[in-house]
Formats: sequence, structure tokens, C-alpha cells
Amino acid sequence: MKLQLVGCSHHTARLELRERIAFSPEQTRAALGALRVRFPDIEAVVLSTCNRVEIYTATEAEVGPSHQDVVQFLAEFHGLDPYDLFDDLFERTGEDAVRHLFYVAASLDSMVVGEPQILSQVKQAYETATTLESTGQLTHAVFQAALKVARRVASETSINQRRTSIPSVAIHDYAKQIFERFDDKQVLVIGAGEMGEETLRYLTDEGARKVTIVNRSPEKAAELAAAFNGRAAPWEQLLELLVTADLVISTTGSTEPIVTRKQFDQIEPRRFQRPLAILDLAVPRDFESSIGECLGVYLYAVDDLAKACEKNRKAREKEWPAAERIIEEETARFMAELNHRATAPTIRRLRETCEEIKELEYRRLVNKLPDLDEGVQEEIHQSFNRLVNKMLHPPLESLREGATTGEHHGLLDALKRLFKIGD
Amino acid sequence: MLSGITVTCFAASYAVALLLEISRLFFQSGVRAAVLIGFMVAGLFAHTWFLGMQVVAGAPGGAPLASWFDWFLVAAWVLVVVYLYLAAYHPKNPIGLFLLPVVLGLIGVAYLFDDRPFPVNRASQVWGTVHGVSLLLGTVVVILGFIAGVMYLVQSYRLKHKLPPSDRFKLPSLEWLETTINRSIAISTLLLAAGVLSGVILNVAIRVGRGASGLGWNDPVVWTSGLLFGWLMAAWIFSALYRPARQGRKVAYLTFATFGFLVLTLAVVLWAPSDHPASTGKISDFRFQISDWATGNLKSEVCNLKSTGHGGSV
Repeated sequence: MKLQLVGCSHHTARLELRERIAFSPEQTRAALGALRVRFPDIEAVVLSTCNRVEIYTATEAEVGPSHQDVVQFLAEFHGLDPYDLFDDLFERTGEDAVRHLFYVAASLDSMVVGEPQILSQVKQAYETATTLESTGQLTHAVFQAALKVARRVASETSINQRRTSIPSVAIHDYAKQIFERFDDKQVLVIGAGEMGEETLRYLTDEGARKVTIVNRSPEKAAELAAAFNGRAAPWEQLLELLVTADLVISTTGSTEPIVTRKQFDQIEPRRFQRPLAILDLAVPRDFESSIGECLGVYLYAVDDLAKACEKNRKAREKEWPAAERIIEEETARFMAELNHRATAPTIRRLRETCEEIKELEYRRLVNKLPDLDEGVQEEIHQSFNRLVNKMLHPPLESLREGATTGEHHGLLDALKRLFKIGD
Repeated sequence: MLSGITVTCFAASYAVALLLEISRLFFQSGVRAAVLIGFMVAGLFAHTWFLGMQVVAGAPGGAPLASWFDWFLVAAWVLVVVYLYLAAYHPKNPIGLFLLPVVLGLIGVAYLFDDRPFPVNRASQVWGTVHGVSLLLGTVVVILGFIAGVMYLVQSYRLKHKLPPSDRFKLPSLEWLETTINRSIAISTLLLAAGVLSGVILNVAIRVGRGASGLGWNDPVVWTSGLLFGWLMAAWIFSALYRPARQGRKVAYLTFATFGFLVLTLAVVLWAPSDHPASTGKISDFRFQISDWATGNLKSEVCNLKSTGHGGSV
């Protein structure tokens, strides 16, 4: 049995290359079909995300498609020159491939370590391959084990509970401490910057529906509003919108505060001290810091959120050894099971051979001694059984031990040759 | 063996659970939640068994659970049930850190009081039960609102000071706490209104039905209960008319004031000179010393005592 992966990730390849060899869902299905045509005896799974493109192949035979074969396939599929790709694509085989998949599924190899999306992406890749009958015994085993390992890492460590990006910390560590739900909250986005968009994405994932965007450039506001089913409002309505807002995300590039304390004081009585969360993600700040002193106002600037990110990052680092330990433990367990499975046919054949010899000799002996009564015959039969079992026990035990430590290949080969056992 | 269950048994279980809640602040543990719930369930079982024994013991001679001792233990029992419910839905929130000290406090106060059952007057038992149960549940809801108020202020302080949530100390959101506080104010107002009104009806019924003098309207227990009810009504009206009182920290302050009025009322009931049977009777000449809102055995008993020549002058 051989498991291999060829691919690239954000660790090894530039974004441009990753974009060129990425697979859309339709392309993934087409690629799996093309792989089956080119390598009929292999199992294959294609994992393609923003940060990685990996092709997992497995075969029952000793030799599967080589690194070069897979690179050639990738290049041909995307209409590229294989020489342009070869150096950027890495290869992992056997135990290293298993360990790598476990790291990926548990989100330890992600750009934002602990982000939860990767697990569903791995699951999706496996399900697509299974639907197209591209998976087999080995890929089933390794992908199911990877999903189990990821869940174990998630439940036994808090590595994926620590958010380290400013938008995710802003929503999960602060906004969700203030509001229980977001579907009935008025969200006001000031500015149409990238950070605001990302924060809004987290917020809509949490159920935010009532989104209003104000921007100096109305076109950009309209564009962002369309993307999030929100509405764009003129810049002049900013203060009026602050009266009804529950959550404000501000990301303008203004060099001066766009809302001063004096301006806020004018609208504050109309808010009736209703809680207001302000995520000021702009540098320099969009809201004067003294606004945070007003009753019911919870104001967070980038620096505040960055400190929380740093704290989470450090906490996550503390969790890393525990997560790594789980992966090493699970990899060793998986490999031992896999090796036991690999030795099973040889053990079965060896037992069958010995049984055949034993039965043959026993029959011969009984035929030569026809006067033996049934009790004696049974005794002799039992004795033959014990002899075979005792003879086989030491080599099989050594083989099992070898399978646990991964040193079974030599023993397996020797047994096959010594007892003339074929595959 | 179960007959040997005492207050100490379940109080010890709750105390261990509180220590486990406190340990959240210092380290993480995968088994703590299960152990904590185990102690709470064991404590609740012992608590329930103990109250059951009190019912059996109290039934022949008087109304069940009809003493200050029982009254506080029942209030603590209701709070423990609420705690287990909240712990199941919010396992990561250290609600017990705020709620269990109150439970232990109630058990401690119960321990200070006599557990002699009140004499029962069947005529006033129905209104007395409504009176007592409403006030008992109203008290529990006021306590829950107060605890939610404390949690609101702690959470608000943490968020104002930009403290990120910690795995060891994670409180519910401000919105959830605010909703809980508002509901507790509304529910406790209704329950205490029912308690006070049933008390009035009870007193009037005694006066009209038996021609007895009843409880004086200027009795300290009457006017402090009226004060508590009046405060809750005022708080309700205030909230309806003044929007800031319905949201933010002001809601939490309302629960503090309500809790203060409740403590004042209980203190007056327990220690002030009063003709109310729930008072200790230290000043009055009544032969029985401890009585209860729950039994409603007001002046009628006094009349009985007077008519048989056993009672003293009022």
C-alpha cells in the first residue's frame, strides 16, 4: 500500500502560483475523472482551498504515480509548463503524508492557525472524491482518521477557540459579549475598506441582517451594500444613523476623527443609553476616544483589539505542544493499524499453508495407522495443531511488533521468501 | 440510612460545588464540570429528601414546610434547581460563583431559626398558601434578578475596560443579562403583588368572617411589604415611562434597590415588633413565637387563643 501527496501551500508557494493551479468544485470533479483515466488503479482526493492545493493518491500496489507524474498531470490540466511548477510542489509519502493531512485537518498548517473552515473543506474534498468513487480502502481510512483527529484536537485543546485576526477578535471576543444575537441589531459600517468588509463577513456569519453602509464615495458604499444585502446611505446621514445603530464598524482613511465627542454628545440623549458597540478599526482613529466614556458606549480601537490578538496568539502557542502530541499519537496509531492491515494477507497465507501441510500429514498418518481409535486420533490432531501454533507464534509475534513500529517490511519479505508465499 | 440526612449534608455538597466554581478562576479542567454537577445533584437529592422528611414530620401537627427554617430551605432549593438549569444551558459561564453563595446564605439564615411548625387554621389555609407561595417565589425571582444585576455590572466593567473574555471567567452577554433582569423585575412584581394582595384579602377575611381585629394596617410587616410592592410598581412604571431605565446599567441598579427593599422587608418580618404571625413575637404576647407568610394563620389563631383563655392581650 502506498499513500502519497503532491501539492503546495501558503508555506511553499506564492499566491499567484496557488491561484493558477487551484481547482474550482467543477474542476475538482473533472480532475478526479481525469486522474482515474490516467491512473486506473489509484485512489485519489483533491483538496483545493485559498491556501493550498494538494492531490492525495493511494494504491494497493507497491508503486503508484510518481511525483513527476502528478506534477505533469497538474500542469496539463491547467495548461501550464511542468517545469514552472516542479520546484514549488512538495511531496509527502507514507507516514509523512498521513501526518501532514492530520496537521491540515486540525488547522495547525493553516495561515490562521485554528481557523475552523479547513475541516469542512477537507470533509468536502473527501466527500466529493467518495461520490465520484475515487476513494478506496486507504483514502477512506486516512481521511476518516483525519476528521477524527481534527475533532479531538478541537475538543482537547483550545487552539481553535483563540482568534488572532482583528476582525474575528472584534466580533467574537467583544461584540458577542455585548449582544446575544445580531439579526435584530442595526449595524452601521463607516467606510468601505477591506478590514470593514472582513469584519462584516464575520458579522453576517453570526446572523447580522440590518446593515447600513456610509462612505464618502457612494459608489463604493453601494457596492459593499449589494454584497451584503445591506443598504447604502449618504455620508451626511452619519450622525443620524448613529442614533439608531447598535454596532458600528468604522474603517475610513480619514486623518481626523469623523465623530468627535461634541458631535456624539448632541445625539447621545436620543439613544437613551442603549448599548452601543463601536469597533474603530481605522488608523488614525475615526471616533474620539472620550466617546468611550459615555454611558452604554463600548468603544474598541485597533490597538485594543491588537492586544487581545496578541494575548490569544500567546495562549495558542501554549496549546500547540498539546495539539502536536495528539497528532503524533494519532499518526503512530494510524500507521500501526495500517501496517497490521498490510501484514494481514501474508499472515493469512502463511497460516493457510501451514494448515494445508498439517492436514496432509495428519491424514497420511491416520491412513498408515488404521487401527487407531478415535480418542487417540483426536489427541494426535490436537498435538499437530499445537505444534503448528507454537511454530508460528514467534515469527507472527515479531511481525506484529514490527508492524507497530513500522519495521515490518523486511520481515514480511523474509517470510514470503522463506515460505514461498505469493501476493 | 437516608433518615440521617441533615442540613450539613447538602450544605457541604453545595460548598464543595462553590469551591469547584471558584477553582475555575485558577485553572482549567476537563472533568470539573461533571464533578461540579455531580455534587450539585447529590446536594439537591439530599436537600429534596430532607424537605420531604420535613413535610412528613410537619403534616400531622400543622401545615407542611411551615416555618422560617423550611421557608428559607425551600427558597434555597428553588435557586439550586434554577442553577442546574442555567448550568446545563450555559456550562461555560460561572453562574454558580454568584448564585451558590446566596444559596449557602439562605441555608445559613435557615439554620439560625427555629423549625417549630406553625399552628394551622384551615379557614385561612388557602389564602395563606397563595400568600406564602407567591412571596416565596417572588423572593427567589428578586434574588435571581439581583444576581443577574451583579453579573451585568461585572461584565459591563470588563467590557468598558476592554478586558478580553477569559476561559476561566466567561460571563453571559450584556443583552442576555439585561433580558433576564427585566424579566425578573416583571415576574417578581407580579408574584409579590399576588403575595401582598392575598395577604390583604386574608386579613380582611379574618376581620369580616370572624369579627376579629385582624392585623393592623400600620403594622411594620404590612407597611414594609407594601413599601416593597410599591417600589416594584414604581420601578415598573419608571421603566415604562423612562427609556434609559429599561436598558444598560440602570436596569442593574433597579435590581439592587429591589434586593435592598427585600432584605429590609425580611429583616422587619423577622426582627421588628409586629403582630404579624411571621414575626418572632419577641415583643408581642403571642404564645407562638415563629410564624409564616406561608401558612396564613393570622389573627384567627390569636382569636382562638383569646377565646380559650390561653392568649395574652394584644
